[in-house]
Amino acid sequence: MQQLDNQEILMKLKSQKQFWDIKKKIKQGFNDQQKIGVNDIQKFAQSCEIEDQLIKLISHILKKSKKRETLKEDQIEFLNTSKIKWTELLFKNLDIVHQKTKNQEEDDTNTDSKLYIYDEKNLLAFLQTFKQQQSNTLYQNVQFQSNKILNINIPLKSSQSILDKYQYLLLQEELSDEKINKIRKQIENEHLDIELEKIAQTFVPNGERCLLYLKYFEFDHQDTVLQQHFAKLQKECLNQLFYDELLEIDGHEISEDTFYFVFQEQILTCLKCFIRDRTIKENIRIQLQSGIKKEHAEFQLPITGFFPFKNISKYVAPLCYLSTKIHIIYALFKEFFCRYFCFLHSISSESNSILSLCMQIEEIVSTRSPKLFHHLKIIGCDTLKLIIHQLVYCFIGDMDPPHILTIYDQIIGHDSLEILVILCVGFLNKYKSKLLLAKNQENVQQIFSELREDRFQELVQYAYKQ
Amino acid sequence: MSEYFRKYIKKEHYANHYSNLKFKTSFRNCILEAFKRRLWKETEGDDWDIMWAEKEWIHEVLDHTHLQSNQKINHFRNHYELTRKDLMIKNFKRYKKNLEREGKQEEANNYNFFPLTFHLPSEYPIFFEEFKRQSTNSDTKTAWIMKPIGKSQGKGIFIFNKIQQISQWKNTLRYNQDNPQAEAYIVQKYIADPLLIGGKKFDMRIYLLCTSYQPLTLYLYRTGFARFTHHRYDSEDISNTYVHLTNVAIQKTSDNYDEKLGGKWNLQTLKLYLMTKYGQEKVAETFYNIQMLMIRSLQAVQKIIINDKHCFELYGFDILLDAQLKPWLLEVNASPSMTSNTPVDFELKCGLLDDVFTIIDLEKVLTGNEEQIGGFDLICKGNPIKLPINSTFTTYLGAFNNRQQQLKKIAKSTAIRLAQTYQESQTKAIEIGSKGQKEKEEKDKQMRSSSKGPQVMQNGGNGNNKPNNLTKQNTIIKRNTTNLPALGTVQNKNNIKRQPLQNAGQQQQQNQQSQSNSSKKNNPNEDSMLSANQKLQKLTQESKINQFQPYKQQSQYNEVMGMGVVSRNLQKNEE
Repeated sequence: MQQLDNQEILMKLKSQKQFWDIKKKIKQGFNDQQKIGVNDIQKFAQSCEIEDQLIKLISHILKKSKKRETLKEDQIEFLNTSKIKWTELLFKNLDIVHQKTKNQEEDDTNTDSKLYIYDEKNLLAFLQTFKQQQSNTLYQNVQFQSNKILNINIPLKSSQSILDKYQYLLLQEELSDEKINKIRKQIENEHLDIELEKIAQTFVPNGERCLLYLKYFEFDHQDTVLQQHFAKLQKECLNQLFYDELLEIDGHEISEDTFYFVFQEQILTCLKCFIRDRTIKENIRIQLQSGIKKEHAEFQLPITGFFPFKNISKYVAPLCYLSTKIHIIYALFKEFFCRYFCFLHSISSESNSILSLCMQIEEIVSTRSPKLFHHLKIIGCDTLKLIIHQLVYCFIGDMDPPHILTIYDQIIGHDSLEILVILCVGFLNKYKSKLLLAKNQENVQQIFSELREDRFQELVQYAYKQ
Repeated sequence: MSEYFRKYIKKEHYANHYSNLKFKTSFRNCILEAFKRRLWKETEGDDWDIMWAEKEWIHEVLDHTHLQSNQKINHFRNHYELTRKDLMIKNFKRYKKNLEREGKQEEANNYNFFPLTFHLPSEYPIFFEEFKRQSTNSDTKTAWIMKPIGKSQGKGIFIFNKIQQISQWKNTLRYNQDNPQAEAYIVQKYIADPLLIGGKKFDMRIYLLCTSYQPLTLYLYRTGFARFTHHRYDSEDISNTYVHLTNVAIQKTSDNYDEKLGGKWNLQTLKLYLMTKYGQEKVAETFYNIQMLMIRSLQAVQKIIINDKHCFELYGFDILLDAQLKPWLLEVNASPSMTSNTPVDFELKCGLLDDVFTIIDLEKVLTGNEEQIGGFDLICKGNPIKLPINSTFTTYLGAFNNRQQQLKKIAKSTAIRLAQTYQESQTKAIEIGSKGQKEKEEKDKQMRSSSKGPQVMQNGGNGNNKPNNLTKQNTIIKRNTTNLPALGTVQNKNNIKRQPLQNAGQQQQQNQQSQSNSSKKNNPNEDSMLSANQKLQKLTQESKINQFQPYKQQSQYNEVMGMGVVSRNLQKNEE
């Protein structure tokens, strides 16, 4: 972590609009006085909350200057070894996929559209192996009574605290035009992370979302930089990579979704640039796969340090509803992935990781709806298997774009993926009565293949229904 | 759907039963399907009640044919005043000038929704001057688009930005100058900054139904669609028509045409996108502007089009949004394509046509005052209709298309109304019959001869469904009922009211019976009649329960979103 000296802090302060606003305010406060002492200023600042604002501003600058380092090692050792195993597994899958594509080239008629290195089911299946390992090696003497798929000893937040944290969403009312306009102005003038987070937690008016995200990621004055960066990556796309082919196949699924087919081309361009972007490795908050160097060039990890997976296009799609400029869409996607979505694919004990989220969901469902939990267990369709798709892909494809963007708002607002836990629990509760009647896996599949319409607010309400 | 009408309205309540109706059309697409779904019969002869004709038929045959009063046809005689590219612009320009002359500058300024246009070859010199002026004034070359008059589906259209590029066209024209068939074109300033979604250009197809030009009666369909080009937009590359033209007919020939989705968004999805990107207010304004654009287009030709009660017309408006969300009118189609390229599209068009037929109301069941029929909202009747001030909607265009629920509701209320009027007419018919009886008795007593009484009875009591008979009855009733109290006790009256299905003559007989016996004889048919009456009551209650909530209570946003999901899932299912 690098430290800033006072001079640097002052420089950064001066680049903030709020700093000048405060200065102006102080000047106005001492309009007529000729001599102003330091004590006077201090007193004045204390009296009209200027001091607080300054402290916030400075802490914001310090926080920003801290660069988050990519998590490489996990606190829990066996997760580190698991990650290596996972990576090896993926390399094997890559070999298979590679072989398949070669075969396809020879035989044009048999095009397999299901070419991918891994999907959410593979990931869950891999996580499931943890239980046995742990009970075999570490906790041999402990009897596991629970029926949970995942029961690993990692530090977890209490599920009640998560439920409490998001309970305020239940009370949200429709805002008046006046209030919405006020929020609009606030977004335009606000720069502090904390304030932007607060807005994101409560309500982001349509039309202002892009600006809020850009400000939060500190892109708001960097349009040309983003554009140049993107143009550079686009040039690099001229050199074909093996992964391009996988991405193209991946795009087909999005092309079948009414809401996103228009953006298929843009999404593909974004992803092609993404796997060529060198800056991702430094920006991503957690390392997804432990790099093992292989000799064959075509069998190496992409520059990003991880494999593209099935449905990676889904993460880009909703962002196309925010801007018509592709470099903005790309920048937002990159930031969202590096900050949040990467955790959904990480073998880790971090609170945002897929492992923690899954365990939270199991915990809440098994304690609050034990009947459903056991019923699903009996019919051989575990809770997690039902919602893993929604969880890993943030409900993209299951809800309309504006609802997805509300989820994104919440992710930014709390700097956390916990909202997905609430929504998954709500999702299960919503279909609880139908699921309890299901007698086998086919019944369950039928329930979800029926015409359905899920909404953000609705699922939140279901989550808190007893 | 018309099936709700068939479900709720009793056969004898129809003024004109659907099984008697005949249609004629040469089309073999959604139009035929929509006709068939209404259980109308197809005819080849001239005994049709409704004809869906091609435009050419109108020009060739209509002027020489005499139509029966009940016959309806899908075009106005001189619809081309609005639907031919050059005439439309000419009429708009003229109307604008008239408004200015009348001092209505503000309204005249609203006629700014069509691009700068010239007719070629007649206006070539003015165009040439304008072309030179535009090229010297701006750094970038202004692009112009050439469209042949009277051709559709994007045929013969090309874009140019150098005058040499049309020289070839000009030469052939000069060569053919004496040739009256020399093809006329219009040249329009190309809208160079269209709104792009996903990097692609699109235009909107919106449906407007005109049932009369005097008073101007317009219904706007909630659902339309956005048609996308399949290639990224590039203002530099003007030779690639795939980039610039959105016509399905053109895009179909493109290599990467997506058959499943047809390269289309429905209007609800488009609105959802725009709202997410630009916010509700901006989008509400845009959609309201589109509605006004359509009304103004028809107002401009209102006095030119020959109004005819036999005619109605379903227009397909092609509208383009520019990057500032300002709508531009590209074209008005008199026969918008009713061929579908996806199952969803098929259902949309069949539903649209079904609603058109419901509005035309060949069965004569509606009042004509309905504000919404299926997916159509009445937007103009003489004057543009303004929505209540407290409504969140400025227009229903692109709002959730609740046609199924709405048709169900309207069918129920119509069924109730028809049943009531039917009952009333029946009751009154009986009253007349009874009155006739009384007269007869009196006459019998006084003159000991029977003359006109029974005849009146017969006339009044035939219980015929034909409308002219109904009116006859009504007039008789009006004349007679005021002074003469109806015979029969209250009980009897009730009995009568419970006999909607009964032939009035029969009723009268029974009436006589009960009267002569002056006792409460139970009607053998009463049970079934009671149940019919209960049914009716139930229906009334149901319709009260299902009464449609005013839209202002629903958030426009949610409505639109609701629709989006349904359509998406539908699509998924169909796959």
